[in-house]
Amino acid sequence: MKSLFSKEKWQYLFYTVSHPSDGYYWIRHQERGSVAIALLLVILYGISFSMNRLLASFVVNDIEPRTVNSVAELAGVLIFFIILCVGNWSVTCLMDGEGRMKDIVVAIGYALLPMIVTTLLATFVSQFVAENEEAFYTILMGLGMAYSVIMMLIGIMQVHNYTLGKTLITLFLTLLAVLIIIFLGLLVAHFITQVFGFFKSLYTELIFRF
Amino acid sequence: MKKSIWIRLTALCAVLSLLASGAMAADSLPWDCYNYDYWDNILYTPAPYVPDGSVSGASLQWQGAPLGSLNNPQDLCVSDSGDIYIADTNNDRVIVVANDLKTVRKIITGFTRDGVEETFSRPSGVAVSEKNQVYIADSQNRRIVVLEEDGTFVKTVQDPKSEVLDEGYVFVPLKVSVDYADRVYCVAQNMFQGIMVFAAEGDFTGFFGTISVKISMWEKFWRRFSTKESRAKQQLFIPTEFTGIDVDDEGFVYASNKDTDGLQAVRRLNPSGQDVIKKGPHENLGGDRVFGQVGNYSGPSQIVDVVYRGHGIYSLLDSRRGRIFTYDHEGNLLYIFGGIGTQEGTFRTPTAIEQLGSRLLVLDSNQAAVLIFSQTEYGRLINEAVSLRYDGDESQAVQLWQEVLRLDENNELANSGIGKAYLSAGDNEKAMTYLRRGMNRSYYSTAYKRYRNEVLAGNLSIILTAVIALIALWVIVRKVILPRRQKKGGKTA
Repeated sequence: MKSLFSKEKWQYLFYTVSHPSDGYYWIRHQERGSVAIALLLVILYGISFSMNRLLASFVVNDIEPRTVNSVAELAGVLIFFIILCVGNWSVTCLMDGEGRMKDIVVAIGYALLPMIVTTLLATFVSQFVAENEEAFYTILMGLGMAYSVIMMLIGIMQVHNYTLGKTLITLFLTLLAVLIIIFLGLLVAHFITQVFGFFKSLYTELIFRF
Repeated sequence: MKKSIWIRLTALCAVLSLLASGAMAADSLPWDCYNYDYWDNILYTPAPYVPDGSVSGASLQWQGAPLGSLNNPQDLCVSDSGDIYIADTNNDRVIVVANDLKTVRKIITGFTRDGVEETFSRPSGVAVSEKNQVYIADSQNRRIVVLEEDGTFVKTVQDPKSEVLDEGYVFVPLKVSVDYADRVYCVAQNMFQGIMVFAAEGDFTGFFGTISVKISMWEKFWRRFSTKESRAKQQLFIPTEFTGIDVDDEGFVYASNKDTDGLQAVRRLNPSGQDVIKKGPHENLGGDRVFGQVGNYSGPSQIVDVVYRGHGIYSLLDSRRGRIFTYDHEGNLLYIFGGIGTQEGTFRTPTAIEQLGSRLLVLDSNQAAVLIFSQTEYGRLINEAVSLRYDGDESQAVQLWQEVLRLDENNELANSGIGKAYLSAGDNEKAMTYLRRGMNRSYYSTAYKRYRNEVLAGNLSIILTAVIALIALWVIVRKVILPRRQKKGGKTA
């Protein structure tokens, strides 16, 4: 546990953010990354996502606070993260990717850090923003997202030792894999409810008869 | 003991006075009153109007006896002098009711032209001009008849001749309205090109307020791939029809229309026929903003008539769910009431709406009756506050808005109105609280900018001192503390 959260690991997180290409290379080849930190970052991202939706000033925020359910959103972010990792892993396994599951988790998890920071910062900045000044907010949010996307791209590329073109192709296939996983998940959930409903009606039938 | 008797007496008086006025108590209304908040949630409000009896053929007195029932009446008009004209369509007559809503002043069944008696056939629209001339859309005789108040014949408007009209066009006027210059605006059957306008002399001058057809990219895409035969079988792209007209004091024409998207069911047309209505923060003038997609009472509101009520306020009548939607000149939805049903105060087929003083009259063609709605305290406060704002007297409206908030604390317009008053009074912090509740972004921003400047200007010395202190601290750390540490570290290493 200590090694997962050690000082070196934390310092290496910031090194990866400032030197993504180099950083991700050694994550794959020298075990410099930490899965625990990556998961923590995902949870932090879920929290900052809900915080932004709830707390951003109403000048920039069109979301009704009553519709924000932070627990459900956190669960949604986590589930999506897991599906994304599994999807990417399944695709890259078939496409000569060198990354292991934990490398993918670290690659995607670490890439969320810029987005977390800018989301929180933009939420704070939005409190001091009036109409016609929303640009500060949107630019901050946009920069964070762009940096995260670039980091994710470089991360996947380095971890699997791909070229840029192949990374883009695998990312597209990952998207398809994610959709298939969601579809199968819904299908299974539906069947389970059917089976459950069958036994439930059986039970009620018996109860009413005897 | 003595006190309780007094309370009872006053309560009794209150009940008696209520019975005397005949207005329904707000807690026994046959429908809910509501409005939409910023996020289109339905918020229930106090009743702005309550049913206050109705006028039917049986309740009207004509020469000392009941009049007998109306038959499929289609239009209603209140003249400047307060007489109510009802187009009793299937009885081929127009009834003039005095403004006590009990006695019939006159029944117009025909007129004398050049010594010849003429009658009406299915008169479906009626309007009264400023000169108190009566305009009757005599639909099956294909003409508009103009009579003096006493019934003498003035002129007819018929057989519109123009190059833009098809050969053999049959003119069937349904609804009619007149402006201050005696121009006649007419909604005619199967006329999709707009409202027909006639000059004071009776010549057809052209169409007015034509609604352009909207074709989506998707429809264009499919039409590109369909053959001529299949295109012929497809639905035609026809502009929507106008359903009702009213003219305001400035001569602008309010015209309601059917809208299958539920986005804009009313237009305010300037003298050259352009739509100059303000659509409000939601860009929606279509009645209900939220409605079911399947089943009874589903689909967008079907607006059948519009009444301009002065000070920029106008009301729309919806025949699908029997609601009356009232907007102000900025397109804000003020209040919603009414409903379809069989109880007292509900509609079956609402067809026309008019205003009589502070009351609203709604003609129901199926019930063959005019339903009366009288204004409540809540409705009066909103109407007056909005009127004051329209007249530019916003500071006076604040008291009214505060009373509105006492009755309905969710009212966004009231919050916004109070906020604006605080803003002009210079109390930016309070303005911000109220404008935030009223979801008024632009005014909130103005208030916030002023508040921000105030705080910055008030604490300028502290802020500058802090900045200087921070810079000094940074310099000390860089120049003094860090070099020392490095020296120390160098020694130990």
